[in-house]
Amino acid sequence: MPEQSDKSNPPEKELGLAPDPSPEEEPRIGVYVCNCGGNIGDVVNCKQVAEALRNIPNVVTSHSNMFMCSDPGQKLITDDIKEKGINRVVIGACSIFLHEQTFRQAVERAGLNPYLYYHVGLREQDSWVHYNHPEDATEKAIRLMLAGVAKARKMEPLEPVRLQAEKHALVIGGGVAGLRTALDIARSGLKVTLVEKSHFLGGRVAQWERVFPTGETARTLLQRLLEQVQAEPDITIHTGAKVVKTKGYVGNFQIHIRQQPRGIKADFDAVDQAIAACPVEIPDEFNYGLKTRKAIYQPYSGCYPAGPVVDWEHCTHCEKCLEFSHNHDINLDDTPIEFDINVGAVAVATGFRPYEPFPGEMGYGKFPEVITLPQLERLLAADGPTGGKLEWNGRSVRSLAMIHCVGSRQVDDVHQPQPDGQVNNYCSRVCCTATLNAANIIHERLPETRIYDVYTDIRTYGRGHEDYYTLASKNGVTFLRYFVEDIPEVYPAEKGSYYSMLVKVKDQLTWGEEIELPVDLVVLAVGMMPNPVDDLIGLFNITPGNDRFLLEVHPKLSPVETSVVGIVLAGTAQGPMNIQESCTAAAAAASKVVVLLGRGQVEMEPYVAQIDIERCQGNGDCVRVCPQEDAIKLETFSKNGTSFQRAVVTPANCNGCGVCVSTCSHRAIDVLGWRLDDYEAMVDAITAEIPVLEGVPA
Amino acid sequence: MAEGELPMATSTNNNRPKILILGTLSGGYRGADSVGQEHLEYPPNTYILPVMSAAIFPETFYMRAFERGFDGIIVMFSGTDCPYKGAPERTAEIINKTYELMKERKLDLNRLRLAAICTVCVRPFIEEVHKMEQLLDEIGKLPHPLPP
Ligand SMILES: Cc1cc2nc3c(=O)[nH]c(=O)nc-3n(C[C@H](O)[C@H](O)[C@H](O)COP(=O)(O)OP(=O)(O)OC[C@H]3O[C@@H](n4cnc5c(N)ncnc54)[C@H](O)[C@@H]3O)c2cc1C
Repeated sequence: MPEQSDKSNPPEKELGLAPDPSPEEEPRIGVYVCNCGGNIGDVVNCKQVAEALRNIPNVVTSHSNMFMCSDPGQKLITDDIKEKGINRVVIGACSIFLHEQTFRQAVERAGLNPYLYYHVGLREQDSWVHYNHPEDATEKAIRLMLAGVAKARKMEPLEPVRLQAEKHALVIGGGVAGLRTALDIARSGLKVTLVEKSHFLGGRVAQWERVFPTGETARTLLQRLLEQVQAEPDITIHTGAKVVKTKGYVGNFQIHIRQQPRGIKADFDAVDQAIAACPVEIPDEFNYGLKTRKAIYQPYSGCYPAGPVVDWEHCTHCEKCLEFSHNHDINLDDTPIEFDINVGAVAVATGFRPYEPFPGEMGYGKFPEVITLPQLERLLAADGPTGGKLEWNGRSVRSLAMIHCVGSRQVDDVHQPQPDGQVNNYCSRVCCTATLNAANIIHERLPETRIYDVYTDIRTYGRGHEDYYTLASKNGVTFLRYFVEDIPEVYPAEKGSYYSMLVKVKDQLTWGEEIELPVDLVVLAVGMMPNPVDDLIGLFNITPGNDRFLLEVHPKLSPVETSVVGIVLAGTAQGPMNIQESCTAAAAAASKVVVLLGRGQVEMEPYVAQIDIERCQGNGDCVRVCPQEDAIKLETFSKNGTSFQRAVVTPANCNGCGVCVSTCSHRAIDVLGWRLDDYEAMVDAITAEIPVLEGVPA
Repeated sequence: MAEGELPMATSTNNNRPKILILGTLSGGYRGADSVGQEHLEYPPNTYILPVMSAAIFPETFYMRAFERGFDGIIVMFSGTDCPYKGAPERTAEIINKTYELMKERKLDLNRLRLAAICTVCVRPFIEEVHKMEQLLDEIGKLPHPLPP
């Protein structure tokens, strides 16, 4: 673990003479130009490139080769390292993202530090984009390889940052994604603490009726997962709990947790009486406001943890419930507890919330007959407000319209933006199949009910999802298509009409005909938005994307990793996903955590800031601008009896963002592996008046 | 075409304007790879260097690159999707400061552009390059040495 100084009493360090620079190793550079079959070599004259580089200072050997990534190609490098004393390697080949690890390993196998290799992309960034200009492509290859050589001259051996790691992970959020992550981590032998902000586990899935694509009831699915989690001794669960403070870095995060009390003992046996006695009535969030609940409540029977809780925000302390409390079963004076845990990694699985239409949006909030898809799910649920009967205003629904893409795929200047000024231009992915699933359930229960499905596009993209569309078509669901320029209008029918509401659609399936749909109920298939996690974004320095969902480092190559090493994402905190995708993401997040912590030690890329203590003037600009917590600080040193301050980096807290580099007017900071000097040398190499192109043998 | 049959690069092309593209690994550099994967063409006088975060470059770096022979520079970062907190804001701040220095040296400010390019932003990448190319066609190379 990197040395940490005690902030309260900063030690004064003796700054000795700068250590003698180890006798500088003369760079002996090997240059390798890959033809990539013909992918590069059919456009770029690789032989000429290799020849052009041959007589450049420090270049000891220069080859062109058909496949550098092949065994013989790699052997060429390892032989040169062993036999010709090559100590820097520059390879021009396909994308760095494909073969960087291959070549790093080859270099390491030959005994060279793996960071003494530089990769130039000659395929995606040259031959594949300049195929009509082979001469120019060859010249470009030569200049880019020259830049690579210029960089190679300055490369230095680097070591990954190695840190002790707690074999203990934190999972934030107890929906399916969080539960799956916790389970997979614990089954790999690590300890897990799961923190759920509500008093019950399960997240949104607990609210749904029957889930696609398996048709299982959501509760059965959830129950199975919950039983497995409960049976796992290495998982500790804290509900009603939130992370309120964090410190540290990968391998050793100190997490401060605040937990609300439940206020009621688990074995309290007069639950129904206590609930009945409570005079408070507030909208029940579990049922999306379709009914009310008390300030003592339990979202549904069979929930985990079992037993009701006190809603501290709404409890008036009238003490009516205490009449049924013997042995202090109810304690209205309970207070939150706070405690710390140390973990090596964190999985953020904070999930989503359904889009809340603006008042009046397609009649929502204005007409009670307009509800959302999550509300419909509650109406269809056996333990919902109507006991699973699709009833509205006391009678069965005879006709309903379901409108897709409400709060998804929005367009600037058409839709009302969120408070941050952005519309939700993304697809929420789940709503199309969820809507068709609900339509099929309704048809099953009320075959006479007329169902209109009003869509923009139907995106039943997953395996088995299209079956829901096929079945809905067979069930006689009427499909109408609207374009975003003509959002359907929802308004009440004339008084005394058979159906109370009308939906006007400019239907593109009938070439723009305006059709009025007479209905009892309008269901808005609302999209997904991330649960608000600004606090966690601040605490962990993670980043949301433009769509406000949490951002991964790279959607394809590092899909669940954030830019902060040791913090991973699971499930819909990262973007709209169905249950299957949430669990896949959770499994990926868990495996990242296990790989990271499994050995009790973590290794990080060495690309962190480094201070040149001789150049540093200790003015603290870098400390002020650093966006990371505790990544750079000023420490007091002394030399010949004089005290002064110098910046010191804590590598584990630095993510190499480079903000400090551009701020230091003394050029006393660099990011290792990405030094400013390197870039200047590369710029010089590319722009140099190079005579090398003339007279090069073909 | 077999390797031996390929035409040789015979001129140094030192007279063509040169464009430096600083592409972040989470943005423009991968965006350039995506353009390549689609085999879309853009002019070859473009030199893309991979950078972890564009926030490392102070304004003096850009001025130096102009002095050394680049005629246009495009910084392709991932904008608000940048994985490094604070880095995009800092990059934008430096570019603005660089514009001040460019004004002092009477350089056309359009020679330096900051563009948000994502890993699959193929069309925006091509558009940025063409925009710069067009500009350089119109206003030409920078004189060397640069006016003080
Ligand atoms: C109407 C509708 C119907 C759907 N039907 C289906 C279906 O049939 N099939 C299907 O596959 N998918 C369906 N889905 C999608 C499914 O609901 C999601 O894939 C699933 O809920 C994602 O699980 P999650 O754990 O990522 O998020 P969530 O279920 O949202 O769980 C997140 C959990 O994190 C907790 N949390 C949030 N913030 C914090 C914090 N700061 N600290 C601690 N805890 C926190 C929350 O309280 C919650 O318990 C449907 C979605 C909708 C909207």
